[in-house]
Amino acid sequence: MNLLNRLTKGMGREIGLLVALFLMIAIFALIDPIYLSPGNLLDIVDQSTINGLLAIGITFVIITGGIDLSIGSIMAIVIVSVGWFLTKQGMNPILAIILGILIGAVIGLFNGLLVTKFKLQPFIATLATMSAFRGVAYIITNGWPVLNIPQNYRDMMDGDLVGNFPISIPILLAFAIISHIILKKTRTGTFVFSIGGNEEATRLSGINVDFTKMVTYALCGVGAALAGMVMLARLGTGEPAAGQGYELYAIAAAAIGGTSLAGGKGSILGTLLGALILSALKTGLVVIGVDSFWQYIAMGTIIAVAAYFEIIQSKFSGFGKRLSGKR
Amino acid sequence: MSNPIISFKTISKSFPGVKALDNINYDVMEGEIHALIGENGAGKSTLLNILHGIYNEYEGEVWIAGKKAAFKNAHDAIKAGISKVHQEVSLIADLTVGQNVALGHEPKKGPFIDFNTLHAKVDVILERLRCKFRSIDLVSTLSTGEMQMLSIAKALFHESRIISFDEPTAALTENESRALFEIIRELKANGITVIFISHRLDELFQISDRITVLRDGKYVGTYHTAEMTRQKLIQSMVGRDVAAFAERQKLGLKTNEIVLEVKNLSKTGVFENISFQLNKGEILGFSGLVGSKRTDVVRAVFGADPKTAGNIYMKGKKVKIQTPKQGLKHGIGLIPENRKTQGFIHNLTNAENMGLASLEKFSHLGFINHKQKIDNCNRLTKELQLNPKDPYYMTYNLSGGNQQKVVLGKWLTTDVDVLIFDEPTKGVDVGAKAEIYRLMEELLAAGKSIIMVSSELPEVIGMSDRVMVMHEGKMIKELQRQELDEETILHYAMGGSEYKS
Repeated sequence: MNLLNRLTKGMGREIGLLVALFLMIAIFALIDPIYLSPGNLLDIVDQSTINGLLAIGITFVIITGGIDLSIGSIMAIVIVSVGWFLTKQGMNPILAIILGILIGAVIGLFNGLLVTKFKLQPFIATLATMSAFRGVAYIITNGWPVLNIPQNYRDMMDGDLVGNFPISIPILLAFAIISHIILKKTRTGTFVFSIGGNEEATRLSGINVDFTKMVTYALCGVGAALAGMVMLARLGTGEPAAGQGYELYAIAAAAIGGTSLAGGKGSILGTLLGALILSALKTGLVVIGVDSFWQYIAMGTIIAVAAYFEIIQSKFSGFGKRLSGKR
Repeated sequence: MSNPIISFKTISKSFPGVKALDNINYDVMEGEIHALIGENGAGKSTLLNILHGIYNEYEGEVWIAGKKAAFKNAHDAIKAGISKVHQEVSLIADLTVGQNVALGHEPKKGPFIDFNTLHAKVDVILERLRCKFRSIDLVSTLSTGEMQMLSIAKALFHESRIISFDEPTAALTENESRALFEIIRELKANGITVIFISHRLDELFQISDRITVLRDGKYVGTYHTAEMTRQKLIQSMVGRDVAAFAERQKLGLKTNEIVLEVKNLSKTGVFENISFQLNKGEILGFSGLVGSKRTDVVRAVFGADPKTAGNIYMKGKKVKIQTPKQGLKHGIGLIPENRKTQGFIHNLTNAENMGLASLEKFSHLGFINHKQKIDNCNRLTKELQLNPKDPYYMTYNLSGGNQQKVVLGKWLTTDVDVLIFDEPTKGVDVGAKAEIYRLMEELLAAGKSIIMVSSELPEVIGMSDRVMVMHEGKMIKELQRQELDEETILHYAMGGSEYKS
């Protein structure tokens, strides 16, 4: 019991999310037991990988009080460039993947530059690059999709590891674990939280705020690059139109997971659970046969409900303020 | 004196884990200026919040003009003629003065706001308060002092009979404070009852008729101001003898070694040609009126703001300081004036806040050594007598004095040589003030040097080895400790020239 208490200290939000996830699964299973089949459960996780990778990346940016609307477009650039490396250049897939990650990081740094050196508001800066990056993706392929992605690459990013267990899940977990460590164990992680809490006080503590922000946008770009490369492997073609609107579900996953859009609050585990909840809901609605138009309404509702729970929760934990906390 | 207009009868109020008020009984007489004092956490604000209907659940009764009051919210209290002039003025900057004053009670013509009547009505009140601004002016164009007047105008607009002032002079200049006091006396002459909270004892003696003291949620007593002394008042507030607390215990720590030298520092349009030296082991006071740009100078020295010309030397070596990071690197730390917006970070714990500026020390390859960080916090908690002692406590929930200690702890962790205190005891209660002064002296004894910007003259006079007096961006005069008195400092602070031979 003591160990359980220690493990769960400061994790009220995550435990609540886990309960919500199990409740949701239980309800869908009651309506249609097929939902509980191993194949379907695996599907839920599998469907959450792309959104999960995007959402983990954007969690860094949101905790600093920023936002990145351009991640869908970053995905597209990485998709068509990696596709081009593989098909036209015949590049070694491992090299292509490394280059893809680098491209994501560099594009992210560009966003960071607009936000820090040029002092654009993150929303406006990334709204602009959302459009501009999309244009870049179209220009790279002249508007055509990149076809015939080689099978060895597809196996590497989305093949089956054992049985039906897709390799994309360990990729997501690896990125999540690394991100978690950065956020909780490193200096940069502490600065991410302190910037979100009070940027001026952080600067006056002799910390290079601009550098830390650049790092968060770069990590966000890396998340988008990984998401894009999983998608490229899954579909086998590289569409320059891919990833449109994905930023919204990534933000939703982070918000459901308890990341505050005002900055200063959030966790990788919460974001992961947020992505899983969205995926479980979507899969469940398909399984029980809800019309796809209604699915949009259900997704919207769950986002609003999650945000409302956040408010209630903070109200009941001592006048909305935490007395003490542990990271 | 006439009848009681407010009677607090056996008022008690509890918050989870704390008894904020315990059996408060006393009367406020009609038409008097009644001061309410006590250390931070004594229960002053809680009592006021009950009076103003902000807290509606409490034990005991409040009687207003012979009738039992049962306010459900602040609105009820305003309707009953009880208004509050806020500590931190909360106004809507993009609306006009008139709109702010009448907010929620605008005169209507049909479904529309009758702006002519509104502005005419507000202008009459502004004239009565001798304000220079008018009802149609935008709030964003007003100074802090003027905004305070606007709050008073709001109270008069609602025809209040009881007006409370919570630390009204905290953000005002001397002149503005003086003008405010005149207004308060005029309110009194018009039969309005004034409740006045302030940490500045001099003010209470200037303005109040009677003083009620609270301590730890309990009623200590109500005294006629004329029969009280400063010393007796402080004793009743803290329950112990804090004799002349802004007084140096140890002098002669100042050495001849020059730690920091600033030469011809300028920032176009703000300050020009500022030069001074700081010796090891001394407290160099910076005095001046609001607008003398003292804070701007020390911020530029630390690297928080850019400068246009001038050089900074640390221990004789010329250094480049353009960012706080460089300031820290060269051994300067800044404890800023506004803790909440510049000092500590609200979503971090004490340990995290204290470690923030020196995480490099506690980490290896970027990974933080958690235990070292906590140990550091525990050590400083003891040294600074921080309360509560929990390193995981959220700094945000501490009292003002303890928050200040956390910010101080952050800079002590960094091992800087020069500490710049900007208004070190602003919003800090008497007991914590004494502790902060004691800490400053301990720092000197440990070989550090201190620059102290302060608006409180007793603090400047009591604590400084030397004082630089500024006026409108210029260094006017350097005063040695033996030359310090209020008249001399004020003379130069107001731009006066040499008058003593």
